[in-house]
Amino acid sequence: MILSGVLAGLMSGLLGVGGGIVMVPLLVYAAHLDQHHAHATSLAAVIGIGLVGAITFGIDGKVDVEVAALLALGSLVGAPFGARAMHRIPENPLKIAFGCLMIVVAGILLWT
Amino acid sequence: MDLSLPLAIGAVAFGIVVGLLSALFGIGGGLVMVPFIVLVLEGDQHLAEGTSLLVIVPTAIAGVIAHARRGYVDFRAAGLLAVGGVFGAYAGARIALATEQEALQTAFAIFLVVMGARLIRDGYRSREPSP
Repeated sequence: MILSGVLAGLMSGLLGVGGGIVMVPLLVYAAHLDQHHAHATSLAAVIGIGLVGAITFGIDGKVDVEVAALLALGSLVGAPFGARAMHRIPENPLKIAFGCLMIVVAGILLWT
Repeated sequence: MDLSLPLAIGAVAFGIVVGLLSALFGIGGGLVMVPFIVLVLEGDQHLAEGTSLLVIVPTAIAGVIAHARRGYVDFRAAGLLAVGGVFGAYAGARIALATEQEALQTAFAIFLVVMGARLIRDGYRSREPSP
């Protein structure tokens, strides 16, 4: 499990993407969690990784707190709806949706 | 970044989408936020990454509270992942400065396509009734 975290963190630090896109498939295929538990558990781990990352960038003055506050104002409204949506979606469609998300992310990575 | 009022409102609206995606998929949302900050709000790449990481913290906390009520959060696994993730992220940032980014991105994209295709296949396969 720690190794999965290291792998997720490595990808995150290397490429500037969130760890979740890596942790979810690892939790499903290496830790054998179901899709709902994998999403929720990945999100909990993201808190710690985000916190340390934000502090690291903050020390270098690379955080705009005002802009972060505006984005967070919106995201705190959106998050409960996202959570409710996840609870309602059955296992298999959720798996397929996440698989599609991964492929879209791959496209964005190759395109940028 | 000095934002005009329409851009500030746009940032809040975009934040709503980030929150939705984050809680739905268990991701931070940095992948959509960083391009938004760079392209729309015109922040530089590092400022965008740092700012996005700060947004991720309260967003993920809000999502986790909602998921934990339903008993979906494996806190022990999350703690282990976070411990590994913190060390990995630090090492990754160091390595990133010294290596070729393009090869890494391609390798990572291949990983995503392979794992994504596997999830889609399993999502369809297990829907069929078992014999």
